[in-house]
Amino acid sequence: MSYYLSTVAIYFGVDLLAAWGLNMQFGWAGVPNFAFIIFQAVGAYVTAVLTLGPDTGANSYQHYVLGMQLPFPLPLLAAAAAGGVLSLVIGIIAMARLRRDYQAAVFLLIALIATQVVSGDVGLFNGSNGLAGVPQPLAGPLSSLSLGQYQWAYAGFVAVVCVVTLMFLRRLGRSGWQRALRASRDDEAAAGALGLNVAALRLQVFVLGGAIAGLSGGLLVGFITAWSPGGWGYAETFAILTGIILGGVANNWGIFLGTFLVQIVFVEVPSFLPEFGYPGLIDKLEWILIGFMWLTVLLLRPRGIIPERRYKSGIDAAPRGQGNVSRV
Amino acid sequence: MSVAYSKVTEWRRGSPTVVSGALLDVADVRVRYGGVEAVGGASLRIVEPQVVGLIGPNGAGKSSLLAAIGGQAPIAAGTVTLGEHDVTKLPAHKRARLGIVRTFQTASVFDRLTVFENLLVAGVGYPGAALGRAVTGGARAKAAADAARADAVRVLDELDLRSMSDNYGSELSGGQRRLVEIARCLMCAPKLLLLDEPMVGVAPHLVRRIGETCLRIRESGVAIIIVEHALEVIEAFCDRVVVMAASEVIDDGKYDDVMRNGSVRDAYLA
Repeated sequence: MSYYLSTVAIYFGVDLLAAWGLNMQFGWAGVPNFAFIIFQAVGAYVTAVLTLGPDTGANSYQHYVLGMQLPFPLPLLAAAAAGGVLSLVIGIIAMARLRRDYQAAVFLLIALIATQVVSGDVGLFNGSNGLAGVPQPLAGPLSSLSLGQYQWAYAGFVAVVCVVTLMFLRRLGRSGWQRALRASRDDEAAAGALGLNVAALRLQVFVLGGAIAGLSGGLLVGFITAWSPGGWGYAETFAILTGIILGGVANNWGIFLGTFLVQIVFVEVPSFLPEFGYPGLIDKLEWILIGFMWLTVLLLRPRGIIPERRYKSGIDAAPRGQGNVSRV
Repeated sequence: MSVAYSKVTEWRRGSPTVVSGALLDVADVRVRYGGVEAVGGASLRIVEPQVVGLIGPNGAGKSSLLAAIGGQAPIAAGTVTLGEHDVTKLPAHKRARLGIVRTFQTASVFDRLTVFENLLVAGVGYPGAALGRAVTGGARAKAAADAARADAVRVLDELDLRSMSDNYGSELSGGQRRLVEIARCLMCAPKLLLLDEPMVGVAPHLVRRIGETCLRIRESGVAIIIVEHALEVIEAFCDRVVVMAASEVIDDGKYDDVMRNGSVRDAYLA
């Protein structure tokens, strides 16, 4: 049971990081990044190829680029950088001149193209078979621990990364920069007409969110030690997005709750149910529940369980008779 | 001069602007949407702070001309000059930073920001609006943030909006949204304010308030162009009237003169 709980804790931490990254883009800036999962994927791949060591050539069971063996935590930092750089390139292409609804379509297409490219090009990241045998980042220094103890140690490390990320997000969340992003989310034309460089703001948050996605991918592959296109289909983005919408867009604690509900309760609970219906139905329940939650939340509580926090100006109300504009 | 506007203006510009030459010079501007010419060679010159009413029937090109000045519509030909700056090729946000600020035909309040935040986000030089400042913070950033808050409070008081400072934009009525839009523009320390049908859907007592607000803004050295259909509003609050019809400016003068020479009748009945 302890092994299971530590596994769930690590997955939750990784999913939470990803959700916070996507929330920066979608919740703060309104960027419909339906390709979000590919930024997590690139972080995972980069971590893998920077820890696996050199590709030994024709006799190797897997082929990949770079092939280095960098010490911890350099591969993780590289994962974040890779997520950021890929975001910069894709952000410039997808967000430069397109309206938001077209951006959503472009991002979805980019996710599909990325899966095909990585699956088809075996020399890049070993094609559709993916990479396996990725070294665990803390295995060396913590070699004296049992498997169960190592898992909890890794869960603790993921938790530390989550706390540091949360502190960073809270700092940004109190800034005028974040407020400018939310303004551009609400009305892009009006934000521009007030002097905000909406394109630059969105590209900045897109890169930051992509870097966090890359970091989450690096942490994930360091745990599961394997990574292939089957694990990062475009639909995974919608699972992350469901957690954000369910918990509360642009609210870090709402996203914590939403991610817990979606990634832990909806994903894990069905596996404890007794077999019923046709074979495989229980596995599909996860996506059925996710789809159902989307519709329910959007209909009944569109701002989520814990809505975006209202800013309190802290100024005194006007004296009676002054400042009370009647509602018209 | 209104205390709020002068303070905001000083913050942005250092000192009140002394106008030399034209404040705004729109020269033979053309705006095309595909094969449709929305503005066909319009010219407009404002040399001193005044309230200019821009009137004409639907489809005359009024909003497109405003968009050409504000940077929301690409200019196919002609030039737009603000003071000494040729802004013809500048994007909207750079024009806004030079002092051309606008409202839209449909009230464009940021719905999920409070009224106070709506004002803060418009404050020129508001700290943290740059990512680097958001990360590093510091005493200077805090001092500037405090100054922006003080300016926002002054503007709220000036427009009698303090009581709703913590309301979301989505919680405001139509008239209140219009006032917040104008308040937000004032935070940008404008030199030229473009108001696209600010009175539409607004209760009569708020129409008067918006109009009187425009006059006070003018007195602080800001020129205003108002697109408006209601002639009684134009007569009451505008120093000058520009008439557009069929994508062109067909008349320009004082209200009484424009009414007397029949151009308004021609525009609407053409």
